[in-house]
Amino acid sequence: MSVSANENPKVSLRAFLAKYSVLIAFAAIVIFFAVASPTFLTPANLFNVLVNNVVMLAIVALGLTIVISSGGIDLSVGVSVDMASMIFVMLLAAGYSGVVGVAGGLGAALIVGILNAILITRLNISPFLATLGVLFIGQSTQQLATSGGQPIYLTSGYAADQFNAIARTALFGVPTPVIVLIVLAVAVHLLLHRSVFGRYVQAMGAQPGVAWYSGIRVPRELSMVHVLCALLAGVTGILLSATVKSYVPLSGNAFLLDAIGATFIGTTLSRERKPSVIGTLLGVLLLAVVKNGLLLVGWNFYWQQVGIGVLVFLVLAASFGLRRAAH
Amino acid sequence: MQTAKRDIAVSMTGISKRFGPVRALENANLEIARGSILGLVGQNGAGKSTIIKVLAGIIKPDGGSIVINGETVASLTPASVERLGVHFIHQDRLLVPTATVGEAVFLGHEIGLGPFVSRRAMERKAADLLQRFFGMELPPGTLVKDLTTAQQKVVQITRALAQKASVLVLDEPTAALVKREVDSLFDVLRRLRDDGIAVVFISHYMQEIEKLCDRVTVMRNGTDVGTVDPRQTPIDEIIAMMIARDVGEMFPKRAVTLGAPVLEVTNLRLGGSFENIGFNVRAGEIVGLTGLLGSGAKEIVQCLFGLKTAEGGQVKVEGKQLALSTPVKAVRDGIAMLPEDRRAHGVALGLSVRENISLASLHRYSRGGMVSRGSENQAVDGLIKELSIKTPHRDALVRELSGGNQQKVALAKWLSCQSRVYVLDEPTVAVDVGAKVEIYNLLNRLAGEGAAILLLSSDLLELVGVCDRVLVVYRGRLAGSFSGPSMNSDALLAASSGARSNADGVAA
Repeated sequence: MSVSANENPKVSLRAFLAKYSVLIAFAAIVIFFAVASPTFLTPANLFNVLVNNVVMLAIVALGLTIVISSGGIDLSVGVSVDMASMIFVMLLAAGYSGVVGVAGGLGAALIVGILNAILITRLNISPFLATLGVLFIGQSTQQLATSGGQPIYLTSGYAADQFNAIARTALFGVPTPVIVLIVLAVAVHLLLHRSVFGRYVQAMGAQPGVAWYSGIRVPRELSMVHVLCALLAGVTGILLSATVKSYVPLSGNAFLLDAIGATFIGTTLSRERKPSVIGTLLGVLLLAVVKNGLLLVGWNFYWQQVGIGVLVFLVLAASFGLRRAAH
Repeated sequence: MQTAKRDIAVSMTGISKRFGPVRALENANLEIARGSILGLVGQNGAGKSTIIKVLAGIIKPDGGSIVINGETVASLTPASVERLGVHFIHQDRLLVPTATVGEAVFLGHEIGLGPFVSRRAMERKAADLLQRFFGMELPPGTLVKDLTTAQQKVVQITRALAQKASVLVLDEPTAALVKREVDSLFDVLRRLRDDGIAVVFISHYMQEIEKLCDRVTVMRNGTDVGTVDPRQTPIDEIIAMMIARDVGEMFPKRAVTLGAPVLEVTNLRLGGSFENIGFNVRAGEIVGLTGLLGSGAKEIVQCLFGLKTAEGGQVKVEGKQLALSTPVKAVRDGIAMLPEDRRAHGVALGLSVRENISLASLHRYSRGGMVSRGSENQAVDGLIKELSIKTPHRDALVRELSGGNQQKVALAKWLSCQSRVYVLDEPTVAVDVGAKVEIYNLLNRLAGEGAAILLLSSDLLELVGVCDRVLVVYRGRLAGSFSGPSMNSDALLAASSGARSNADGVAA
């Protein structure tokens, strides 16, 4: 049944607040930090937030948005990030060209995705357990490959410097990594919300039995979902290495919970309660701004985590308000 | 009506209930007498389950009065009804599978001291009750999941009796039982009746009503249209009361012009389920398939759609031999399936009408892997209109539609796919009478356009009314093929239970 327009001004005000609660909350957070910290709204800081806090997390979250849309989960995105980072850095350190480095890095992430796909679609292991297993294996593999977790640094060389430059430059005033994100976000948006594949993903997420009974090749589409997610995480791995000119084992793990959090914040805020690219990006932005703002006002890392927790609760509260206003 | 003054346990008078614009009950009456078994019949949507839910305290009526054991009750809750001695054995509300029999019998009324439950006392007492009421011996500590469905029903009844039930309402209790189990359940119910308990028995099976009930109340359009003695009233008359029109009107007939065989099944075999199954369905033909639970009829349908892989035999569609291993291939080969569990397999409730209808045929509305919304919308709007699917708009969630309209969406999905063979698995379960007739009309139209239709159903009336021919499966084999005058529910029932073999002969 559709919601009829309500003439009661009190109710419609509440409905208005509920409808725009996210934007209002976002604006409030930005204003709060702008007042609390003079550096918050400076171009240098915003550039920093976008490049270091938003882009890499957002690309991982895009992949998770696809997986969560299909009704699954990928706990091994950190491993995909790390594997891509490790192989990329190792190849560059060994003197290979940037193209080879990128191909190798994405190839490593691809292997993680294929492994997930096989475990889930061939061995029928639940996505949660399958990717959890891959997470453990991936972590140990890195430690074995780096004698217990020693970082690999890129000493100056042509390809390494070039990549580092790319990560730090801007095109028409837009940081290059942001351009990478925009291109990927548009692509994933079209894929998820406009393509045949996206329809199948939504159907599998909504009711896997119906997808199977409609003649959809569920195992194949599900494999594609996990491969895409791993590849996107791999892009983040390469961007990460290019930015910090090194590979630090297990650094990808930091993305996992934030990316899941961002995707679910986006899901909770959307009207249909489905994961969407726009919702996910909004979730990433919220997390990134709060983290950066708390850092600037002088909170340490641990208090930032508390801040994120409070943010998640606030989002849930806003979403309940939204739901109640709809009734 | 019987003239003797009966001892009335429950009397519901003038009960009305509306859900928005829908009138579920209108001045409905129900009288339940002690020491008697009352049958309650009516089509889906007639108000049977609504009036029972009112009595159970689940639905609050808009008007009317309820007297239980001489006491007028103003408002009922599920807990207060149980305290008044009225107990319900619901069709699908099962017991906790990992509970022991003792725990199941005393669930919510545990025996013990303070917060501690005495499992041993419960087991002993439960075993005692089962032995006393039903002569049933179960080892103490038996788990519910190890019981047969019939034994679980008995445990549910025992639970009611342990709490001193005076009225027992059973909703479709025989649905999942085999014949022997039905017989022993009936013995139990008769014994309870003789002990003075009032029993209400809801069933779709007229034969069961005739065999068991002392009286039967017929409901139609939200009200009771009469109470008769089923032993003295012919079944046809009771059915006529239920549908208020000739059986012929319920099942619109069509002129049959049969074409060439579209679906050809030869010597199909699946170990443990069925063997030597062969039949054809011609263009424009509606062929019925029926059999008791476990007969193999269901598995035949599942094999045709690739849900199970047959171990031998051939399936051809329009002369082309199929490798039926997955639904993916079946759909591509032009086979459509309307599954029994609509919510799990038929329609995705969380997706829109549009997304559901185009799901199996997106290749027709896409270019380069991207969905072209224009052509999709056009096709979907066309089908919504063609099947008169009642939906606010094409982007409404299927969840918001009624059962009958959801079923039409599931059917529209295959029309959009231009399938050649339609396999329907109990398509009118939980669909109201009006929507049923619409679905029958749709099947007729599909057949008229040259589709081949295989209808698996356990509703014999429906099979006789809709099909050109009905195949009966008994213990994994075709036990008969009925058409024309030989196709009647008595013959189908007899063949289903192995009593009589075929009338027309079986096509090998």
